[in-house]
Amino acid sequence: MTGDIVAAAKLIGAGLAVIGIAGAGVGIGIVVNGALQGMARNPDASGNLLTNMILGIAFAEAQAIYCLVIAFLILFVF
Amino acid sequence: MSEAKEKPKWRWGFKRWIVLLFIILNVVGVIVFPPIRPQVQVQPEELTSPVNLGPLGDFSLTNTLVAMVLVDLIVIAIAYFTKRSVMKAEKEHYRMPGGIAGALETLFEYLYNMTQSTAGKWAKTIFPYFASITLVVLIANWMELIPGVDSIGLLHHSTTGSPIQQILPGVFGTVKSGSGETYGVVPFVRTLSTDLNFTVGLAIFSVIMTQVIGLRAQGFKYFTKFWNTRALFKKPFFGLIDWLVGILEIISEFSKILSFSFRLFGNLFAGSILLFVVGALIPVLLQSGILLFEFFIGLIQALIFGMLTMIFMSMATQSHEEEE
Repeated sequence: MTGDIVAAAKLIGAGLAVIGIAGAGVGIGIVVNGALQGMARNPDASGNLLTNMILGIAFAEAQAIYCLVIAFLILFVF
Repeated sequence: MSEAKEKPKWRWGFKRWIVLLFIILNVVGVIVFPPIRPQVQVQPEELTSPVNLGPLGDFSLTNTLVAMVLVDLIVIAIAYFTKRSVMKAEKEHYRMPGGIAGALETLFEYLYNMTQSTAGKWAKTIFPYFASITLVVLIANWMELIPGVDSIGLLHHSTTGSPIQQILPGVFGTVKSGSGETYGVVPFVRTLSTDLNFTVGLAIFSVIMTQVIGLRAQGFKYFTKFWNTRALFKKPFFGLIDWLVGILEIISEFSKILSFSFRLFGNLFAGSILLFVVGALIPVLLQSGILLFEFFIGLIQALIFGMLTMIFMSMATQSHEEEE
């Protein structure tokens, strides 16, 4: 058993930081669910809905990216 | 081989052999030069030693700065060749411009229609910001896909690196696994969007221009969005809520900078780390799939950055008062 406790704490911390991505996954699922239901009921509006859906996905995905950035900062900066 | 006289079929078969050749070369290359775990660093690496610029602080040429210059050159070249193509078409009795001008016309028509459906009469003011941000970020993101970006560079001493293996002694070298004196690679060009300076700068520009466009559209009434004292006197209780909402709007403007910059930086940085790690662990074939995924991510993130700027700008041109 070699290595120091700080390295271990870094790895554990990075792992804990990415738990938040689960929320973003649920959010993206809800966004796509709503958009697909709208598209199925009104196929004419699908072009407009697709744009807004991708925008919504980007907003939800941003939260996941924040978690990822924090994990990267823990791993590579501190 | 009587069917092979048909030209398209023959060419398709020929290209298939090229792909097979590249796969075999890939396998051979991986065996001869086994990939190692790459070094990952959040801040851009410095290529030259820092120069003191007095009050501005130390300046050194970083590899993302090289990428920035390259992106600018590509954008200028696209503009130049488009103009030349259009001029040539105009000389020839207003023929439809072909080539690069035709391709850009399709792209910009799509973007302009999107702007017009959101911003209405302010589309002409907002569209240049939208299009130029999208184009610059798109080219910056797609530079990640060029072979040699992020991988060719100077070797330097590093404590966490790997030992060196000479290919052409003194000129070319690569790092390998094993033991010995340790080195790391500082790439000449690194993807521009993996530098927080670029993304924060672009986000600050986008947010400040949003305020300027809001000011142009509404005059000084624009600031009632942030500091609503008139509503405070008009209707005491709900006016207080309006005033507090204004404070929240100020905070949301600053959080826009944060979300803009971290979204682009995080996506592209995660993408390049994914490319590094997959390239080191499973060096055959899988990285091609990841590259295709990164192509998609780069396009989406560029569109998202431009589209959000456009939507925030068109929201700033609309007054809140008229809705009541």
